[in-house]
Amino acid sequence: MVNYHKMDKIPTICPYCGCGCGLYLHVEEGNIIGVSPIRHHPVNRGALCVKGWNSFEFIQHPERLKYPLIKENGVFKKSSWDEAIRLVAGRLTDIKKSYGPDSIGVMSSAKCTNEENYLIMKFARAAIGTNNIDHCARLCHSSTVGGLAVAFGSGAMTNSISEIADAKVLFVIGSNTTEQHPMIGMHMLDAVDKGATLIVADPRRTQISEFAHIHLRQKSGTDVVLLNSMMNVIINEGLVDIPFIKRRTENFDAFERVIREYPPDVAEKITGVSPHDIKKAARVYATEKRAMLFYSMGITQHITGVDNVRSCANLCMLTAHIGQPMTGLNPLRGQNNVQGACDMGALPDVYSGYQKVIEPSARKKFEQAWGRKLPSKPGLTLTEMFDAVLTERIKAMYIVGENPLISDPDSSHIREALEKLDFLVVQDIFMSDTAEFADVVLPAVTFAEKEGTFTNTERRVQKINRAIRPMYGSMPDWRIISEISKKMGYNMEYRATHEIMEEIALLTPSYRGILHHRLDGNFGLQWPCLDPDHPGTPFLHRKKFAKGLGTFIPADYIPPKESPDKKFPFLLTTGRIYFHYHTGTMCRRTSTLEREYPECCAEINPEDANTAGIKHNSMIKVSSRRGTITVRAYLTDRVSKGTIFIPFHFREASVNLLTNPALDPLAKIPEYKVCAVRIEPVL
Amino acid sequence: MKKDMILEKSNLSYWLRQLRKEMLLIGPMHGENGDIVLKTVENIHEIVLDCPALIPSPKEFLFPQKEEMFGFSTEGTKNYRNSKRRLIFGVRSCDVSAIGLLDRFYGGKFIDDYYTARRENTVFISVGCNKPDPTCFCNGLGTGPFLSSGFDIQFSDLGDRYLVEIGSEHGLSIVKKFSHLFSKPQKSDYDDQYEAILSSHAMFEKRINLENARQKILSGSVEDSFWAGVAERCFECGGCVYECPLCTCFNVIDRKYSAIEGVRLRNWDTCMFRGFTKMAVNVWPAEKKIMRTKRWYFHKLLYYPEQFGRFGCVGCGRCTITCPGRIDMATIAYRLKVGNNED
Repeated sequence: MVNYHKMDKIPTICPYCGCGCGLYLHVEEGNIIGVSPIRHHPVNRGALCVKGWNSFEFIQHPERLKYPLIKENGVFKKSSWDEAIRLVAGRLTDIKKSYGPDSIGVMSSAKCTNEENYLIMKFARAAIGTNNIDHCARLCHSSTVGGLAVAFGSGAMTNSISEIADAKVLFVIGSNTTEQHPMIGMHMLDAVDKGATLIVADPRRTQISEFAHIHLRQKSGTDVVLLNSMMNVIINEGLVDIPFIKRRTENFDAFERVIREYPPDVAEKITGVSPHDIKKAARVYATEKRAMLFYSMGITQHITGVDNVRSCANLCMLTAHIGQPMTGLNPLRGQNNVQGACDMGALPDVYSGYQKVIEPSARKKFEQAWGRKLPSKPGLTLTEMFDAVLTERIKAMYIVGENPLISDPDSSHIREALEKLDFLVVQDIFMSDTAEFADVVLPAVTFAEKEGTFTNTERRVQKINRAIRPMYGSMPDWRIISEISKKMGYNMEYRATHEIMEEIALLTPSYRGILHHRLDGNFGLQWPCLDPDHPGTPFLHRKKFAKGLGTFIPADYIPPKESPDKKFPFLLTTGRIYFHYHTGTMCRRTSTLEREYPECCAEINPEDANTAGIKHNSMIKVSSRRGTITVRAYLTDRVSKGTIFIPFHFREASVNLLTNPALDPLAKIPEYKVCAVRIEPVL
Repeated sequence: MKKDMILEKSNLSYWLRQLRKEMLLIGPMHGENGDIVLKTVENIHEIVLDCPALIPSPKEFLFPQKEEMFGFSTEGTKNYRNSKRRLIFGVRSCDVSAIGLLDRFYGGKFIDDYYTARRENTVFISVGCNKPDPTCFCNGLGTGPFLSSGFDIQFSDLGDRYLVEIGSEHGLSIVKKFSHLFSKPQKSDYDDQYEAILSSHAMFEKRINLENARQKILSGSVEDSFWAGVAERCFECGGCVYECPLCTCFNVIDRKYSAIEGVRLRNWDTCMFRGFTKMAVNVWPAEKKIMRTKRWYFHKLLYYPEQFGRFGCVGCGRCTITCPGRIDMATIAYRLKVGNNED
């Protein structure tokens, strides 16, 4: 049959945010010519956001890395795969021999598949022999993973996206949902249309807040006070679910003592939210059974990130809004596979399925399976690794699909560290700013050129399918890793990704029943999936918390590390905008997205602008104690007086030159949401 | 021209198999989990004919989301006009009505070479709709569920046979060679078709009258507060335009492959984006969402009728499926009718 110009539609999963929308890639003669939504997908139901609709354009972009590059005398030279792999394996082995395995740091990627994250984790731990592995979840939801593990025993979204539309109360705190998780925002609007009450707590007037029945505009960094005060009202007015607390939780008394200190009038002084609004929100949330709580970066990216998360958990337990459909605590994960990268153990302290490296039994299991002695001490986190480079504890880094130079706080510090490294390997699809510092750059493939699985924010493990052959001379990440590992003397022999999944299932209790053949032709499985016939779990903590009893962990207010003062009078908060994504590697090579939002704009309240003599659309200088950037001013009352918002996508005005690298003591997440700056017009 | 034939259902796959030797056969096939999508037909018996609205619309075969127009280098330019022969089987009447308007738009005063090259080599076979979706409202616009003209070939399912109506030279060309497979229709066949049409009409759930909406807007009684309420719900995804079988906007970009070589592409674009009318020195004439949502509705409801004598909507219901903010044509037409107080 002559069918040389076949037109096919390959079902796969969107590579942008954690919603995990289903889409078809339209392929004609090896060219990707379009995208369309999967109509019956439980997340997007036939819709897509602008990024999803345009997700095809960067795949075959001519700027894709085409062959391995090796730096010689400061200039990149084209090399063969053989040569590059030999060099990487050789140098890493040398460094390991001279300085020990812990002198190497590995960064995995939340854009890679589960299979790849698992292999990268195995590569770090078994082939190199270090627990120095981490990925960008450190910068977004490490406070969730850590905070909820102690409170509930599982740090993931407890409920499912398809439940949202039937909820009666939605409490959204620190999430710009309609812009950052648009398809979840769609379900929220559906719920509101059906009569649900929407409470939004966000210092910015975001799109979702326009639909809110109650909008609490707390000051950035005062979430603990706001939540404690709501719980104070709930306890005082007797809206607590006493049987639930008695039966399923512990440490209530100690928690109550702390909460007593946050009556609404005290909270008003710190948060700026009126007692009336706090009471109203507390009553609405507590008295409705079907109440879901959502949060995102506004909660996690603070030095009190873990405290914020725990306070949210306390609120859920106090009102028994957990363990049932249409309730729960729902952290919205940012990257398409950040949930999966965490699940796969691309973290310094756990193996896949959050099995702790310090636990001898877990370590023994992995040692047996992998045939290597494994290190027992937890490794360094991503944010600590760069400090360790400057103190010469880390000599080499292997970075997969990340761009820390733009994404991490205090970029000058990161730049210094990258320059200092003895050896840096970057594996990516485009030449990123970080890759410029590399000794070897390895060309990897996009989601359209490989098979594997992504786990979305609601724990749904979904299969992605290969639509085209790897572009130019690129290779899937899992193949690159196994080749290097082999050269380093640790054999990784997999014929295809389903073999890796099989190994994951074998070693990971929550993925026990998740195998590729079960994911074909349906919309995936939600973990925990405990055996090959298990249907998956739409909501967690039914009848019993994952760790047995839920624990109330009280949190006291700690102010942000750097508050506005005389010299730096404005509070800078950072975040994403709808048309762009993270460091812009993909979206800024997409013509529509780039046209819609071509340059970095700082949102400033018109009153502040007036005082500072700044005009709409004029250029301004924003400076903090760490650096200065020049951006365009955008006057809007979306931000309140005294606050400035700048997105972090733009390398030409990298807001992370300004941000404060102060860390949450437990999660080591940096405080992206608050730092002090001053502004001045550019004359 | 119009010519009618009868095709026994048992002859269909043989006919399609023969046609497939000369042209690419595209039809509604099973996608993921209950989805039906238009793609290359590998196995003819797997074609699904009683299918819901296909997402996206078949305009993608005439005006694809991404199309290479020409390549350029120091050697000169190379045109990439696409003239593959295609047979698109199983589209619906609303789609055919839309293509009729696309033909007038792209082949009117200014002829779009890329569109025309594809159009001249594509034959559409539509199937009179006997299973409308709950989102469909073509019956109120005369763009479906069955058409009396404007198609290449229209099938009407009469149980064991199809009434095949041929409406263009294009259509005739693929029937002529296989006349032995077809027979002449009897009066009873037309009676059966009439019955099919009537029962199809009875199945529609939505009753939308766009003329009411148009009159309401023209009367000046729709205030900006109404459109502000609409705009507020817009996610700026572009889905309504991407999905619309009638929307024709595109953006032109150049892609550089090297210092001396590149390609010019066009991509689907939408007037729902603020950058659509962006001008130099950071001027965004339609920066406010309300201006853009209003423009889209005005274009569909007011300017199309002025320009083409027909609404810029065929009632396919795709925007109802794809709009995350639920501000699709059917909903807005309804809200225009009842005013802003939906309750």
